[in-house]
Amino acid sequence: MAVFNAKDRVIECKIVYYGPGRCGKTTNLEFIHKAGKKYTTGEMVSIDTKGDRTLFFDFLPIGLGKIKGCEVKVQLYTVPGQAKYSSTRKLVLKNVDAVVFVADSLEVRRKANFLSLKDLQQNLAEQNMNIFKIPLVLQYNKRDLAEQGLPIMPVALMEKDLNSKLKAPFFEASAVKGAGVGETLKRTLVLTLNHLQKELKWTE
Amino acid sequence: MPFPFLPRSVFLSTKDPMSDREKVKALIKEAEIYRKQGLVKQARDKYADLLRFVEENEHLSGDQKFMEALRNKIDRVEKDLEEIEAAPDIKEVSGEVQELITRLFTFSQNKDAAAVEAAVALAKFGQYDRAVAEFQRLIMQGILPRAAATNLLSCHLTLGTPEAAVSQFEQWVSVKAISRPDLEYLRGYLLGALQKKGLHIELSALPPETPSEKAEEEVKEEDIIEISSVCVTVPAGPRKGKVVELDVTFQSGNAVSIIIPASEREMADGFKAGVQLPDLQCYSVMGVFNGTGTVKGKSVISSGPKRGDFTLDIVIDSA
Repeated sequence: MAVFNAKDRVIECKIVYYGPGRCGKTTNLEFIHKAGKKYTTGEMVSIDTKGDRTLFFDFLPIGLGKIKGCEVKVQLYTVPGQAKYSSTRKLVLKNVDAVVFVADSLEVRRKANFLSLKDLQQNLAEQNMNIFKIPLVLQYNKRDLAEQGLPIMPVALMEKDLNSKLKAPFFEASAVKGAGVGETLKRTLVLTLNHLQKELKWTE
Repeated sequence: MPFPFLPRSVFLSTKDPMSDREKVKALIKEAEIYRKQGLVKQARDKYADLLRFVEENEHLSGDQKFMEALRNKIDRVEKDLEEIEAAPDIKEVSGEVQELITRLFTFSQNKDAAAVEAAVALAKFGQYDRAVAEFQRLIMQGILPRAAATNLLSCHLTLGTPEAAVSQFEQWVSVKAISRPDLEYLRGYLLGALQKKGLHIELSALPPETPSEKAEEEVKEEDIIEISSVCVTVPAGPRKGKVVELDVTFQSGNAVSIIIPASEREMADGFKAGVQLPDLQCYSVMGVFNGTGTVKGKSVISSGPKRGDFTLDIVIDSA
């Protein structure tokens, strides 16, 4: 839940990048950190294993400057995607304001995407949050692997699998090349701020 | 040749060598990309597919060098997979990162509850040494000692050192570091936790109560457990029967206030002053308590950022 400091006119909100293991959540944040230096307000922190798999979380603070008279600060997090880190995902998801669900476009990860989305829905429900009501953007990552002849799922199939009921905005991406990363984040920020405006009755 | 260990026989086969070669190349390429992506299981499966394909085709499987190279690849991938599976689930992080954890994962507005929450966050992220030190400090400073002590014992139990938990409890008893009511609670908690682990360890009985200890047993402000949220079954209205978890925004003694957003009017309509709540679950840093409560009142917030939302006051009768 966003923290609103009425005295200092500061809003701090939390966006979590979710998705199955190795789908590109950390790569998204790494690209944002590298390409969005003027917006980042601190260093990116990654707590990972020896093999560069996220163990606890990644964290990147960004600042959007003043919007409607309030300083808006955003905290970006990723969760560990491996199935066994379920309790850590719950922790990181606590008090989230918006979610970017990063799906892996590789055909071999079709089931993993679905299970991860279901995991997200359950973890949100445990916090009395509804996946249909929270600001949510889907990212279909690794689209570039088609160029290397790898079997990737058509977007229409990924939409059918993951977004037929949610009807959330979605973006095709190649996080490793940076394609689609900025667009995903921008849309998520717009949705988040619109949502906060209603929740906090936030006006200038 | 782009793939040095492609069998020569692929080029000598009387079957269509092009399609066999292409298939072998494609499978190797796919497996390698999966491995580089960190999708080690998928890489292993692809190599297994390749091995099966090769074994089914004599003109391919006859090349022993190629078969050996392929089996080595599979072994290496299997080893990678074992390493990933065996990787520890926790890792000691730097003091700086530990500070970040306490900052990012503390949500309570109350200073004392936030201090306990910060230490709990450290424990949940596997920073047990630091968490234990923090809990010790909180106990020494008399900050929510029951919550701090319970979580400290929990750390020892999670680490698989129940004897350390027992020893810690015995030390608290001997030096009277913690109040008697809290010690009684902790004794019950520890016995229960040990029994759940199938351990039947005797704990020292508490020494007889002194008259001054009896006098101190009145409920003090800091003995009241801070409740962070309550789980309640909506008693009436369109959402009757639905179980909801609601964050506590304010607490005074055993009375808690909750804000229900205006958008959840249907849920708010289910609560009216005087209604009994027979099945209440109260969440605190110490754990979850079952109890009962009564709706004391409900009102609409008339100004400020929460204008239009509902405030619900609940008195917790017993827990």
